[in-house]
Amino acid sequence: MASRSSALARPPAFRGVGRSILLTLPMALWSLLMFTPSFQHASGDHYIGAAAVILFMTGLFFLMMRTGETYRWRRIFFVALGFLFPVGFIAALVAERGTMSIPISRMVSGDTPFCFMVTPSIILPAAFARTVIFPGSILPTASNPHSIAIMIGLWFALTLVMGKAWCSYACFFGGIEEGFAALPKRRRLHRFITRFGAQLRLIPWAILVFVVLVSAAIFEPVYCMWLCPFKAVTEFPAVRNVETAIQMVVFIALFVGLVVVLPYLTKKRTQCGFFCPFGAFQSLFNKINLFEIRINREKCVDCGLCQTSCPTVALSKDSIREGKTLLNCMKCGACVDACKKDAAVWHLKGTPVAAKPERARLLFLYGTWALATMFGGSVLANGVHTLIGFLPLK
Amino acid sequence: MRTRILTILAYTGAALTLVVAVCVPFVLMGAFSNAVAHAGLHIDAAYSGGTVARTIDRGRYTIVVYQPVEPRLLERIEPFVQIVFEPAESLPAHVSDEIDLDGDGRPDVRVSFNVPADANAPLRGDVTALNATYISLTNVAGESFSRMVVRAGKQIVVRIPLHEGPARR
Amino acid sequence: MLGLATGPVCLATCGPVVVPWMLVQPQGLRGHSRQLFLFLAARLAGYLVFACAVWLVGSAIPHALPQAWTGRSWLMGAVQVLLAGALVVYAAGWSHRRCVVAKTTGNLVQIGEAPVVKRSGALALGFLTGINLCPPFLVAGVRAAQLAHLSAALWFFFCFFAGTAVWFFPFLSLGFLKRTPAIVTVARMVAVLLACWYGFSGISILIERTFHG
Ligand code: SF4
Ligand code: SF4
Repeated sequence: MASRSSALARPPAFRGVGRSILLTLPMALWSLLMFTPSFQHASGDHYIGAAAVILFMTGLFFLMMRTGETYRWRRIFFVALGFLFPVGFIAALVAERGTMSIPISRMVSGDTPFCFMVTPSIILPAAFARTVIFPGSILPTASNPHSIAIMIGLWFALTLVMGKAWCSYACFFGGIEEGFAALPKRRRLHRFITRFGAQLRLIPWAILVFVVLVSAAIFEPVYCMWLCPFKAVTEFPAVRNVETAIQMVVFIALFVGLVVVLPYLTKKRTQCGFFCPFGAFQSLFNKINLFEIRINREKCVDCGLCQTSCPTVALSKDSIREGKTLLNCMKCGACVDACKKDAAVWHLKGTPVAAKPERARLLFLYGTWALATMFGGSVLANGVHTLIGFLPLK
Repeated sequence: MRTRILTILAYTGAALTLVVAVCVPFVLMGAFSNAVAHAGLHIDAAYSGGTVARTIDRGRYTIVVYQPVEPRLLERIEPFVQIVFEPAESLPAHVSDEIDLDGDGRPDVRVSFNVPADANAPLRGDVTALNATYISLTNVAGESFSRMVVRAGKQIVVRIPLHEGPARR
Repeated sequence: MLGLATGPVCLATCGPVVVPWMLVQPQGLRGHSRQLFLFLAARLAGYLVFACAVWLVGSAIPHALPQAWTGRSWLMGAVQVLLAGALVVYAAGWSHRRCVVAKTTGNLVQIGEAPVVKRSGALALGFLTGINLCPPFLVAGVRAAQLAHLSAALWFFFCFFAGTAVWFFPFLSLGFLKRTPAIVTVARMVAVLLACWYGFSGISILIERTFHG
């Protein structure tokens, strides 16, 4: 395994083509699973979609192997996921019910697809009253395959492997803002974010506590009903009175502000870093996950490049001094790739820091990318297939 | 020595994580879903309508009467009782039914609505309370979780609000 | 009865109010289990006093209001707006002064002058939270007002107290243990969010009875 020998100038190709292909091979084989019936309906368009996605995902993995960089290749996948998920999802909704809004009749018949974002809000009522405060169904039905049991099972399985990396490799929504954050050259409001980073970082926790407590108190999924910025690109309760109208305004304002405008201005994932309660919840799983990012104090010169590059402000001056990232690190790899001294490194908990960073990265990426290919990939394939359906030649 | 043991443990853990990752699509996801499915959870009655009390057979169709749903302490719904007419296709063009909700043999409400032939056409209906327990509704569609006459797939779902407080039995 | 079942609910609504409050009480750091007992005892006393009051009011105007619901919703609305105000004040740092007061009290105790002050501090706090802040408690109060006998009302509140106290124990000690600035900040933010929520919900109840959905 090649090691990062030169501390100053990273070699243009981190690993030879042959070795990179060899390392990509297992991932390529694994991604062929996308052709199996459990991921695909047997139709021409679906196969085209799956094939495109397999090429895409394996290609990106190859580039990760070849360049030794993680962040920018991962970002391509993630942004594609963020933009293709709504395409497939909305198209399916419109095809089925003719609108993006959820009429109340769909709620009482349990036909709302479950979204993992609700998970923290439903925990207390489920634990204490055995009641799920979501208008979906527990078991999958013909009209609602995205049932609560299926989606929670999926989320938990992925979380076991990824931990908080969910927010960089699995979430359908984070990619939208990551896309907008990638557009501008210049970062604005940088001083503000550095100055108040410590407070901003805590907001998701506050929202999490608020959402969990109030949901349990009034037996409504408060986050879904009031705070989710992504209603604007998925589905939302049909406006039928003043309250639902206010909700609608909130959704749109949050989406435009936190997912479009602020990421564009700051080049940060403002919704993920400073708002998303599910992200805070997911941070808890960083504690049980074996992979993390560490700062090698022997090489670090405290230049702060990693801190600036982190899309969610998961590094602070203090944490760099301690050689650690903060609890909300989502293992996107931006800091590792940004560090010019090779001081920010992938790390397997329990091993000495910076002993075998590339091995830690590989172990992490195999597990995480494999699942990203399966689940993110099937979302991508669905989006591609939907787009193919829109093509005039069809 | 301690570092060695830790390192070995760490790599074992990492390998296990990989094994878990490989198992996710095949077994784990299904296993976790099953666990959730068998956890004895149910959907909140504000959405699901609660538990079935009785069914009334009307020949061509059945009326399913649910138990009244009381709001929890801070839950922002009115108490209501749900009734379901099914299957919607077998209903006559106009339904007007006097229904005994509490099972005492006397009708409690009269529910009437027209059934449009097109399943997606808007549906509106009236509920006339025949005693003080229930609240009448006029020309109602999907106003709130406690007041509705809506079509949900093969069912017509009607929710009738109940008077709050000690006035009720 | 109601208490144990609504424990989590009560915890849910009062917790964020009480815990930050407790967190800014430096006197609770040592020997806080005794403090906790005092706190809870005072809470019980507050409950019982409130139960009497509520029952009196309830029996005085049993049928004055045409609909029990109307009265309840107005009360709820008003209480929630008040609570929102209280939370904003708290989050804005009013509690800081309390904190200072408490600190002075703590110093007094350390010089060995008046341990009574310390105890009464916890007692007052318990009593205050007992009669003050918790909306489920007030709902429970309104329900109790509908009960026929004073003893029933008292018993009702005792159960309510017992039920909720069970839930409060781990919560409070957790709060004491993890007394870090980050948690206090989060608690403040939660207070602001809750204030928004209660403000909105209170006002919407006052304006018109909007229901979920
Ligand atoms: S970019 Fe590298 S050298 Fe600079 S502060 Fe971060 S870890 Fe240290
Ligand atoms: S600390 Fe590094 S890996 Fe973690 S979120 Fe920030 S940039 Fe990404």
